[in-house]
Amino acid sequence: MAIRVRLDEKLHERRMTLTELAARVDITLANLSILKTGKARAIRFSTLEAICDALQCQPGELLEFRAGGDVNDAS
Amino acid sequence: MNRISSQALSLAPPAIRALVVLNAIYAVCLIAAFTYSFFITGWPVRPLGAELVAQHPRIGIGLRTIVVIGLLGAGVMHTILRRLLAIVGTVREGNPFILDNARRLEQIAWRLVALEVLRVCVAAVAAATWEAGRISAFSIAPWLAVLLLFVLAGVFAHGSRMRDDLDGTV
Repeated sequence: MAIRVRLDEKLHERRMTLTELAARVDITLANLSILKTGKARAIRFSTLEAICDALQCQPGELLEFRAGGDVNDAS
Repeated sequence: MNRISSQALSLAPPAIRALVVLNAIYAVCLIAAFTYSFFITGWPVRPLGAELVAQHPRIGIGLRTIVVIGLLGAGVMHTILRRLLAIVGTVREGNPFILDNARRLEQIAWRLVALEVLRVCVAAVAAATWEAGRISAFSIAPWLAVLLLFVLAGVFAHGSRMRDDLDGTV
C-alpha cells in the first residue's frame, strides 16, 4: 500500500498510547492496529475525522503517500 | 435479523440433518423394494393383481424403472441437503457472503432442475406403462424455486464482492 498512516508519530507527539486513542475515538484496538501496521485497505471519513479530532491534527499530517508502491519498502 | 428468521436459522441445521437421514432411509427402502421385486414369486401378477397386469402388461417394468428414478432423485436430494447445510453453517459463523455460497446456490438450482427432469421421466414412464395423467409431470412451484435460487446465487456473488471490498476497511 502506497499510503501510510503516521499514527505512531502522532501518538508519540500527543503522548498517547494506541489503547487510549481507541477508547477516545470508539474504534476497536484491533482496527487501530490494522491501521497502524499498514494492513488497512480503506478508511472511512468518519474514522479519519475521529482520529484527527482526538490527535488534534489534519488528515494531511496523518496520511503519507509515497509513489511507486509500498511505503514500508526499504528505499 | 427478525425473530422468525433467527428462529428459522437456529432450527435449520437439525431439520436439514433430519431430512438427510429421512432421505437416506427413503433410498434404502427403494433399494430394498427394487431388490425384493426380483424375489417375489409371480411378479408382477401376484403383488399387483391379474386384472391390472392384464390391462397394463408393462406395469411391472414401469414400477421398477420408477423406483430406479426415485433412487437417482434421492441421490440428487442428498447433494442439495449437504450444500444447504454448508450454507447455513456459514450464516451461523457470520460470514455467508462468500463465493462458495454463490456457487452452492447455483448448484442447488441445477439439482432442482434435475429433480424436475426426473419427475417428468417418472410421469412419462407411468404414462407409458400405466395410465397417462396418473402422475403429474408439471408443477410451477419448483420452477419458481429454481429461478429464485439462480437470482439468489447472483445476489450472493455480488455480496461476496462487496464484502471483499469492505474487508480491510477501518
